[in-house]
Amino acid sequence: MDQTEARLRALMLAGLAGDAAAHRALLAELGRLLRRYYARRLGFGTPEAEDLVQETLIAVHTRRATYDPQQPFTAWAYAIARYKMIDHLRRTKVRPSSPLEEADGLFTDGGAEDLVVKRDLDRVLEQVSARTRALIRDVKVEGLSTREAAEKHGLSETAVKVAVHRGLKALTARFGGARED
Amino acid sequence: MKTDELIDRLTANLEPTPPWWVTRRILIGLGSGAFFSALLMIFWLGVRPDLMDAMTGTMFWMKFAYTLACSAVLAAALIRVARPGGSMGSLAWALAAPFALVGGMALWRLSGADPATRQDMMLGNSAEVCAVFIAILSLPIFAGAVWALRGLAPTRLVLSGFVAGGCAGAIGAWIYAFHCSESAAAFVALWYTAGMAVTALLGALAGRRLLRW
Repeated sequence: MDQTEARLRALMLAGLAGDAAAHRALLAELGRLLRRYYARRLGFGTPEAEDLVQETLIAVHTRRATYDPQQPFTAWAYAIARYKMIDHLRRTKVRPSSPLEEADGLFTDGGAEDLVVKRDLDRVLEQVSARTRALIRDVKVEGLSTREAAEKHGLSETAVKVAVHRGLKALTARFGGARED
Repeated sequence: MKTDELIDRLTANLEPTPPWWVTRRILIGLGSGAFFSALLMIFWLGVRPDLMDAMTGTMFWMKFAYTLACSAVLAAALIRVARPGGSMGSLAWALAAPFALVGGMALWRLSGADPATRQDMMLGNSAEVCAVFIAILSLPIFAGAVWALRGLAPTRLVLSGFVAGGCAGAIGAWIYAFHCSESAAAFVALWYTAGMAVTALLGALAGRRLLRW
């Protein structure tokens, strides 16, 4: 989306000029976008995805001088994200779950609203264990069937149902309870 | 959250980034490599003794211009491929121009020559060593280019290795021209080009390994 491009580019240019607050805001927003980008390819809640987010943020930061202000910022950031993705796949020899060619425009789909929701969801889901988090993501956010999620995680369907149910119950108890206070 | 801590650490003490940083780093890499390459040429091969006389003729300047034009186009290409998502783009066509000019000149000279002398024009006195010497002289320059790229962000590693090798080969050939006393266009079109092509291919082969970041 043009708005995202304009906003991120302005932050980047300010950061290159030495504005630490702008640079910080840029990395924070990129972190959210990258989390979604890698999660779609490697699965939500996987440790590899978060490692790649951090690795890419470090690359964006340390190699920020390679951004050419004449060029779109999102294309530059996307090229780095894609490079880190391919490098990761080459290293681990795991096939991507979706073709890389479909990965175009990842920074552009979904509006700001979507991002805020995603961020809040990230925070909420941190309250449960990594496995439960991944299961809730797959079943409730990504829309996998219980059977698909069970196959993906090597669990029985019953185990998936129980884990998702308990995870949601725990989250409801925590966040729902807080609201009633 | 760990990622937030990371961002805090990265953005503490942020320094402004000077413009032309990419260009400067690449020129430093190529320049220091060329300096060592020139020393290697002077102390190992030696400058041709008739350099002053040769500079009054056209063939010295043809070699000079050919290798320098290739060097300039490939250095510009190196600046492009050093950035994420960068490719050679229109520079691939610009690179074709010096090859076409020198190739055309070589063919024109060969076709006008006595058939008995054509082989001499192509092989000269140093055909067996020319490409090898150019490849050896290009090594320090290639090392400089690799150093520069490793601090930048090439995302197409094979292409970047190819351009780095080709650029090192072209600058190495330019330095070699101060030693080499060959004066036939056909010789230059064949063996100088071969020297550059060999280093470009070696660069492409080594790119994925050397340039990863």
